[in-house]
Amino acid sequence: MSFVPKTAAYSGKINAVTLGTGDKAIVIGGQNVLPFYTFDAPIENAPKIGVEISDAADSWTAPGLVDFYAGCTTMADRAKKAEAMPGADFICLNFESADPNGANRSVADCVADAKAVADAVSMPIVIMGCKNMEKDGELFAKISEALQGKNIAVMSARNEDYKTVGASVALAYGQKVGAETADDINLAKQLNIMLKGLSIAPENIVMNIGTAAVGYGYEYVASTLDRVRLAALAQSDADLQMPIIAPVSIDTWSVKESVASEEDAPEWGNQEERAIGMEVSTAAANLTGGADAVIMRHPVAIATIKKFIDELV
Amino acid sequence: MALKGLDIFKLSPKKNCKECGSPTCMAFCMKVAQGAVSIDKCPYFSDDAKAMLNEQTAPPMKTITVGEHKLGGETVLFRHEKTLVNKNLYAVCVCTECEDADKKLADLQKVDYERIGERMYVEFVFVRNKGNDADKYVELVKKAAATGRSLVLECWDVDCAKAALAVAGKDTILDGATPDNWEAMNALATEAGVALGVWAENISDLYDTVKKLEAAGNKNLVLDVTGKTAKETLANAVLVRRTAIKDGDRSFGYPSIVNVAKLAKGDMYLQTAYASMFTEKYASIIVMENMTYAQALPLYGLRQNIYTDPQKPMKVEAKIYPLNGADENSPCALTVDFALTYFLVSGEMERSNQPVNLIITDASGMSVLTAWAAGKLSSSTIKKTFEELDIENKIKNRTLIIPGKVAVMKGEIQEKLPNWNVVVGPAEAVQLPKYLKDKEYEAAAKAAAAENAAKAAAGAAVEVKELSFEELLETKVPKIEIVDMGVKYKGHNPESKTFVTIGERIHCIAPSIRKAMDERDPKPILERAAQQIAAGATYLDVNIGPAEKDGPERMMWAVKLLQENFNNVPLALDTANMKAIEAGIKVYNRTNGKPIVNSADAGSRIGYIDLAAANDAICIALCSADGIAKDNVEREMHCDNMLERGLSLGMTSDDLWFDPLFLVVKGMQDKQMEVLEAIKMFSDKGLKSTGGLSNNSNGAPKHVRPIMDSALVAMCMMQGLTSAIVNPNDLRLMETIKSCDIFKNHVLYSDSYLEL
Repeated sequence: MSFVPKTAAYSGKINAVTLGTGDKAIVIGGQNVLPFYTFDAPIENAPKIGVEISDAADSWTAPGLVDFYAGCTTMADRAKKAEAMPGADFICLNFESADPNGANRSVADCVADAKAVADAVSMPIVIMGCKNMEKDGELFAKISEALQGKNIAVMSARNEDYKTVGASVALAYGQKVGAETADDINLAKQLNIMLKGLSIAPENIVMNIGTAAVGYGYEYVASTLDRVRLAALAQSDADLQMPIIAPVSIDTWSVKESVASEEDAPEWGNQEERAIGMEVSTAAANLTGGADAVIMRHPVAIATIKKFIDELV
Repeated sequence: MALKGLDIFKLSPKKNCKECGSPTCMAFCMKVAQGAVSIDKCPYFSDDAKAMLNEQTAPPMKTITVGEHKLGGETVLFRHEKTLVNKNLYAVCVCTECEDADKKLADLQKVDYERIGERMYVEFVFVRNKGNDADKYVELVKKAAATGRSLVLECWDVDCAKAALAVAGKDTILDGATPDNWEAMNALATEAGVALGVWAENISDLYDTVKKLEAAGNKNLVLDVTGKTAKETLANAVLVRRTAIKDGDRSFGYPSIVNVAKLAKGDMYLQTAYASMFTEKYASIIVMENMTYAQALPLYGLRQNIYTDPQKPMKVEAKIYPLNGADENSPCALTVDFALTYFLVSGEMERSNQPVNLIITDASGMSVLTAWAAGKLSSSTIKKTFEELDIENKIKNRTLIIPGKVAVMKGEIQEKLPNWNVVVGPAEAVQLPKYLKDKEYEAAAKAAAAENAAKAAAGAAVEVKELSFEELLETKVPKIEIVDMGVKYKGHNPESKTFVTIGERIHCIAPSIRKAMDERDPKPILERAAQQIAAGATYLDVNIGPAEKDGPERMMWAVKLLQENFNNVPLALDTANMKAIEAGIKVYNRTNGKPIVNSADAGSRIGYIDLAAANDAICIALCSADGIAKDNVEREMHCDNMLERGLSLGMTSDDLWFDPLFLVVKGMQDKQMEVLEAIKMFSDKGLKSTGGLSNNSNGAPKHVRPIMDSALVAMCMMQGLTSAIVNPNDLRLMETIKSCDIFKNHVLYSDSYLEL
């Protein structure tokens, strides 16, 4: 008797969340099967790629990045270039320089940058903060206010600051809020429950369930992704059905494989190729596990992952 | 589906001849049930019994062996369900038409390095035949074989395959069977004794061909699931694995080959992306066009992560890691071998750009604080590392920075390593760059050096003679004062069937208790004891900490203090210092029950059973070796081994209390029922059981914990749990236990049963 494959589409479904407005708006989530399991059911919305623009991008040294952004002096300049990058679906602004323990850029400067970017591009915008909760609280509120109506997503409402971030970003200014946890499925669920408890609609919540570069404890990310997806689909757990955005580049560009120069590690060969490899592999692993969007940096890595997605959906 | 060890044991010869390498037939059967050993190892099983068992015990997916490599053998679809067993391996493809075959064969050997104790290299050469020029193919196969790597021969032409096999050696997969040629290829592979790869246009034909090969008697198969596109290939890989594991159809229970070189020819990065996906989704061999470091570094790193046993922490090798060009004159810093700790600490140290010798010490892969609490990171283990690695001769600098989280160990380490200047470093890794850049350790090292010199001058080097327990008791244990705490321990009948609660509140992890133990201050200890006794605790656990230095006198004092004040309340003696437990038992009064040794396990703490046996004590026997048992087959194996050991030393089975190891719901929710089933298994064997039940609710909100603990204890008592280590001050829990004892008919009901 010949083989008849059993399909496994689920009754549970990932929430479809819209980012941005107009022609360039994107929808992430929506599927009721595991990532790329097109043989079980069609994938509602293909995973999306965000291009990371940092306010510290001047320090980027990879030749491919330097060339791509040649002549750019502001975040808006870079965002315009990024918008034209093949594979780009949205822009991610990373305000790492706002960190009071680092460059301590003022909130006003950051908001001005965000505003300039929003005026220059029509792609959806995702905001990442500096990880200092006090500063982020102010930064997120001010940017959400300045970009009202743009339907942006603001990453990082955490267990400690979800009330202030959720209230300002989602409730006051109607933006999407990202619930951030670190490889802890129970906390991921709890944080979503608490955000919903603030009267934020589930369609306005996305998740970052934790990140790591491959080789650096990625097993925790992989298993959290597996478990979150299985809970959302197989158990129809409405508190874990939010789509997942995985910031890949911030981790992959700071590990040894990406930062060791060719003098330091001659046997490893070309440094930029290594960094691209780490970014590609980590993004592909995240997408295979359940990320509905990845945030990436290098044009070659982004083109590769775009092809990867196109081939699989 | 899976057979229990006991079922197999029923059919075993029961000779205990040891010819299989296991000590007893029972132990052997446990291993067979676990899949750790083949039934064929026993020469005395009847053929009928063997055939029956082989069919029933066969895992859903076969393990195919090619030389030193093992492929397949997986039992789950997701690593968190249990663990993935055999990591995917890599091949580089050369073919009869590529012109750069020599270069590729040379290049693939350049990637060969070690990462966290694992050799990373290209395990296979995938030798592809195009056309039917046998001589040409044989030449290429010879060259590929000369690399010393195992081979996959992709060859659908029977004559070419025959010629190639003649020169290929045994460590080969003949990837050549198709729906058209399977009979001829099957004959070739069988004759050569190599695994046969099967490929077909579509998954349905693949299935049919496998069925035919199985009917012809060949189950040494590998499935080449590569399709025309990546999408089709993923579908094949997932469906094959899912059909085998979820649906239990063993005809798809074979390892798979995925050729990403075919799917993304000429695109190195796309191959990396695909290979990452197929690492997570079910390839056993991934074929690449090349393997550069830009591909190997991420791919091997990912593979190492994915194939890490979720229940066994990833460990790095214990050794000196010279960072930032450190040499013998650079300061040393010490931490544990937990891989994440190592990455975090070494990463921050590298960021400091300061030369440091990072010394990794063996701590069973635990984090700093966990290792310390478990006695896996102690001044003795550190001293052992220093001796084994010969650090004193290898490094001249005498500054040793220890993790800030274990600042309490400074004195003990200083004592064990008198030639070093021990300095307490920062508590968090992120503080390291500043700490090292500012050389904050220098002043502290100077101070330590001065102190050491002063000690030496004061003649501290006088040899301390080891005192006997009697002498210690005489000279080092303060006289016990009897204090009226307003509570009387009402006695315990060891024969009673009622649930035994062991109060856990006298524990060195509580700062007040730690201080009281250090200062021999009775008050805080008596207060906690009185509370627990008033709340109805049967036994009290006494945890005196790792207590490396003064363990025996500490324990003797604690035992006397508690028993003399509270009507000889029975105690569980809890420390990593075995001498201390022995000392405690010497002064222990057995009126209300034997002392409990807390605790033995089936790994490095197996000796605690011997200790309990020698001192006629009860022993808590944790059913794990090093790390959590991966399933109940393993728990049962540990249980049987410890039981056997205890009995052979003259203990009665009632004196071994088996601990399934309660797991935390936040993190191991899907393992809770397994723990409950383990308790039932102990109970069915007529054994007693106990454990740190409240561990289940660790990290849950305070008001939720009593509810979770109570629900669990009721379920556990239904399964036959006879004791638990608990917080008796938790009223809800204690009332639940009393109620369950009523339902179990251990205590006669009266309206006031809760107050008794």
